[in-house]
Amino acid sequence: MKEFLWMYFYAVLFLTMLVAIYGIAVKPNMLKKIIMLSILSDAANVLAVVMGYRANASSPPVYPGYTFEVVDYPSKDAIVSFVNSAVDPIPQVLVVTAIVIGLAVLVFLSSILILIYRKYRTLDVRRLSSLIKEGGEWIE
Amino acid sequence: MNYITVNDVMLAVFLTIALLFTYKTLVEKDLLKAVIYSAVESASYTVVFTSLFAPDLALAYVAIGVGVYSALFLLVISRTERFEGGDSNA
Repeated sequence: MKEFLWMYFYAVLFLTMLVAIYGIAVKPNMLKKIIMLSILSDAANVLAVVMGYRANASSPPVYPGYTFEVVDYPSKDAIVSFVNSAVDPIPQVLVVTAIVIGLAVLVFLSSILILIYRKYRTLDVRRLSSLIKEGGEWIE
Repeated sequence: MNYITVNDVMLAVFLTIALLFTYKTLVEKDLLKAVIYSAVESASYTVVFTSLFAPDLALAYVAIGVGVYSALFLLVISRTERFEGGDSNA
């Protein structure tokens, strides 16, 4: 049952990424392409975190018995039990970086989109390709 | 250790909600509604991150995915056109 549930998670995530890739490839509007690109990066981030998740984990990846008052170092048994029950923190750290980089990329693409609309008065890639083939219809 | 917890049910439900709203974003012609649907999708991924024991990602995502992305797309819509052209008028 548990294995079926995890296969369902992966299937839904890959299906979301497939729908987003279909939107990027097929939809003619460029803003719709950028929205689907943001959804694709969201699904990829969730997929990375799901791969680092451990079933029946009971705590965030912070060592529980470590406060400012008590300065004793954890014993070997405590470290072993903590490592056996915590989720993997490395995909989470990588995904934080990926979220910020994705935001920067989307801001850059949006500025290019606004400039394209100022020059050509359309965001449809079919009209844009015909306009550029005609030698460029520059509207100031 | 083979039982299903509340976390797993929440993961399944919110991943399915995200898939449904991704499809609604794909087929929507009004770009304003598409932006709102993608914001709902980001919010459901925030709940997914909370269930996966990544609260730092949930905090970053509820600000960036719901707030900054939507504001950015609304800015682009206000500078450009709102409706996606259905037929090819090339």
